[in-house]
Amino acid sequence: MINLLSRALLMSTPLLFGAIAEVFAERAGVMITAIEGIFLLGALGGFVGAYLSGNLYLGLLLAIFTGMAVAAVYGWITVYLKQHQIVTGTAISILAAGLSSYFMRVFFGTPILPLTVEPLKAIPLPLLSQIPVLGPIFFTQNILTYAIYGIVPLSWFILYRTSLGLTIRSAGENPEAVDVAGIKVDRIRFAMVLLAGAMGGIAGAFYSIGFLGMFTTNIIGGRGWIAFAICFLGNWNPLGVLVGTLVFGLAEALAIYMQSSGTMLLPNELFIALPYILTIVLTISRKSFNVPAKLGIPYRKEN
Amino acid sequence: MDSPYLELRDVTKLFAKVVANRHVSFSIQSGEVVALLGENGAGKSTIMKILYGLYHADSGEILINGVARKIASPKDAMALGIAMIQQHFSLVPAHSVTENIILGNASGRINLAAYQKQVRELATEYGFDIDPAALVRDLPVGVQQKVEILKALFQKARLLIMDEPTAVLTPQEAVKLMAFVRRFATAGHSVVFITHKLKEVMAVADRIIVMRNGEVHGDLLRASTDEKELSTLMIGRELPPLPKELAIPASAKEMLRLDGVSIRDAHGGCGLEEVSFAIREGEIFGIAGVSGNGQQELCEAICGFRPLASGSISLDGRDLARLGIRDRIGLGIGYVPADRQKDGLVMELSLAENMILKSSYDAKWKQWRLLDRPRIAQYANSKIQAYSIKAPGPDAVVKELSGGNQQKLVVAREVDNGTRLLIFDQPTRGLDLGAIDYVHKAILAERAKGKGVLCISTELSEIFALSDRIAVLYKGVIQGIFKKTELTTEKIGLLMAGYAIDAEIPNMTKESAK
Repeated sequence: MINLLSRALLMSTPLLFGAIAEVFAERAGVMITAIEGIFLLGALGGFVGAYLSGNLYLGLLLAIFTGMAVAAVYGWITVYLKQHQIVTGTAISILAAGLSSYFMRVFFGTPILPLTVEPLKAIPLPLLSQIPVLGPIFFTQNILTYAIYGIVPLSWFILYRTSLGLTIRSAGENPEAVDVAGIKVDRIRFAMVLLAGAMGGIAGAFYSIGFLGMFTTNIIGGRGWIAFAICFLGNWNPLGVLVGTLVFGLAEALAIYMQSSGTMLLPNELFIALPYILTIVLTISRKSFNVPAKLGIPYRKEN
Repeated sequence: MDSPYLELRDVTKLFAKVVANRHVSFSIQSGEVVALLGENGAGKSTIMKILYGLYHADSGEILINGVARKIASPKDAMALGIAMIQQHFSLVPAHSVTENIILGNASGRINLAAYQKQVRELATEYGFDIDPAALVRDLPVGVQQKVEILKALFQKARLLIMDEPTAVLTPQEAVKLMAFVRRFATAGHSVVFITHKLKEVMAVADRIIVMRNGEVHGDLLRASTDEKELSTLMIGRELPPLPKELAIPASAKEMLRLDGVSIRDAHGGCGLEEVSFAIREGEIFGIAGVSGNGQQELCEAICGFRPLASGSISLDGRDLARLGIRDRIGLGIGYVPADRQKDGLVMELSLAENMILKSSYDAKWKQWRLLDRPRIAQYANSKIQAYSIKAPGPDAVVKELSGGNQQKLVVAREVDNGTRLLIFDQPTRGLDLGAIDYVHKAILAERAKGKGVLCISTELSEIFALSDRIAVLYKGVIQGIFKKTELTTEKIGLLMAGYAIDAEIPNMTKESAK
């Protein structure tokens, strides 16, 4: 049980990075529909960096860089060239799938055995990890999972308690008001897309070097889209997103647990499909959304 | 002598080679209220948007206290103390009053409580009754306007530009706004009041700049002019009066009847509460009210877009409950919606295609089951002639027509669709006086043919000019139904604001205490 919860927290970490990234961008009015591609290339970048340098942190750095590069392309097309966000993002995600196979070949050829790196280790925090039950769950995690303890409240604070947050939220609700206040709407939006790229890159790298220690081209398997959905389900609020990611993390941990425990109560595939089924069920059952009013709509100044 | 607080010199602005402003020059003194008077499309808003940094002039200069300044953005304008309240408010509906006011004016960590206090003090100082924590989307338009004004005051504006500020207000609210304007000017600040209403100009302005076709056609002191002179300067000609109205014959049958019609609105808009009235053949039934009080819902209920929660609607004795939108069009209901671009036209389609938008399935447009394009073009052409729509031809794309011509197109189509009943929601919004006159005459002509007309407008002058009877709608409730002669502007203003004026008037529905 403790193991399951600890695993749930672990598995919700990348989703949280992705979903918070999405919250910031969508609050500013841009849907990151390229998020699946950002995850995937982040995972690749993280693995390549870590494998070639032998340092996981350099891998993370490369993942951030890769994620931002993809986001910059996406942001340039959607924010500055005002193109359709869903079409652009979907195209980039598909392109990313092709690019990741291509670069794997370029860097590593076709190895007989899958290449691996040593994944991020759990760092038990002194004293805190000794607390019964809570210790193993909350304080024996890897560094990225620890980071989310800070990121959630910090994101909330920035969004609701600072002028930057007010500007971001206004850009998604009524960009004209931001413009009239003398702030460049496109600049804010592009910055949020870049931020989302960085965080999405980390999320992707979590799967390759934070957890599995290897890279395969189907490593993300739609989790970018799940992060995308969690942003909606969490009502564009970091706290709501936290709840959402924990639910999904638990579902994923459960799937892995069932897979490894060998109990055949239900077909294993059902558990693997659980997060995806959950996405659909929750999206349908959610009644009221506080969708940012201008989400997905490029800002065009009249004349 | 001191140079004026602000001076515009020879400002010219072109939009895609069309002149919006030509050599516009005038000045504004400190402590002065200047009215910028002109019809729609006269270039009033354009010149002020240049001053506010939203548009950039192609030539000319702006001087403040005698020094030439470059205003490249609203930020520059604000730094110079210039603020503008636009027709479409630039507020964030989902945010609170305070958050809206401090947007762009605060940095770093926000101490919301302190700002709220500051906003409340500012509001009290100017006599505005506003809750700083309220969400803007929950506020009536009149109050939202105050939020915009507070935003300007918060930024310590010295010159306040207001673009058609009274369009969204009841007469009483407008009076209060004028009082604020005077008071703001008395403190040594300046106000530019953009309007096309002569009455307002005479009530509030010290000086009046009249614009027509992008040029200044008069710069007069209020004390030395009158409404007649201003009207002639503004229009450039005199408009013939509307034809004298006919009495409705006693034999005229009742045609449209609403009984206790209620609509629930789930989307935060206004519903309808127990609305009952009847319209006779050859009668224009006017509905006055501030926009957003259930007008559109009422139209849509009659046309069949919205299900009724209770009550019934009948046309010529036939219950409409089970009839869909197309059936109702078939019965002869024509509808000119308030938002012609959104609800009345497909902007990317041609004039001819828009003409048959609501009857394209009709056999009269078809040959071999396909659309008979020559016949449709011919029909469109006949309407272009009849309504003097300024368009290159039936194939012209509608978005390239001016607002007035788009409206004429919708009116032409609906007059033909509505063989029995015509519904006009804001039939002249955004039109210039010439086009308004045209639409009004068309409405009266249809009335003379014995059609029933439901005419909804927020412009009281329009309601009074056209209607035989007048109802006032407030928060989805009919405040009373009156003969035109029973009402004065003051009375109707009170009703529009939700006050009951006279318990003896029949048909009066008491508004439930808030």
